[in-house]
Amino acid sequence: MDHAAAAQISEPLDLVKLALGERVFIKLRGDRTLTGTLHAYDAHMNLVMSQVEESVHIVDVTDAGQPLPPRVERRNVEMLFVRGDSVILISPAQQ
Amino acid sequence: MESQSPEPPADGSAPQPIAGSPSDFLKNIVGKRVKVRIGGGVDYHGLLTCLDGYMNVALEDTEEWAAGRMTGQFGDCFLRGNNVLYISALEDL
Repeated sequence: MDHAAAAQISEPLDLVKLALGERVFIKLRGDRTLTGTLHAYDAHMNLVMSQVEESVHIVDVTDAGQPLPPRVERRNVEMLFVRGDSVILISPAQQ
Repeated sequence: MESQSPEPPADGSAPQPIAGSPSDFLKNIVGKRVKVRIGGGVDYHGLLTCLDGYMNVALEDTEEWAAGRMTGQFGDCFLRGNNVLYISALEDL
């Protein structure tokens, strides 16, 4: 983060405010991640996002109880409302 | 990469116990490198930009550590306070 942006951040929610209109990476409960454009948020971290790719990280277990290598299920959503209580992390998307 | 406890002072003086309330501690660690552990045993190591009364946290230059391995890196990162188990200083106060 450049220092001009750092100066604008006086509370953690300012970081989210700076990400409005940008691509963001969201980590959710239940081994889910989202990447999409952030349109709106509130103090609960309810979010409205568009052009979202949701990834669900799944570890299957064999009948013998052995974990299989993790796999990822992906789907795309045009417009998405995320309830804030499932949000763990919000970060401006890397790459 | 676990437990980077602060080094004792180089001048040989006894480390002073940190007095004060939890909120004094939180004020003192702003701008320091910290470890934030969230439920599920995932750690975030980063420079603490700021935090609020919900314990929402903003970190810079963040590394995500899980099961002893670095599993992600974020330039900036917002952590929702309800997930926070503890915040630990990675450098001297």
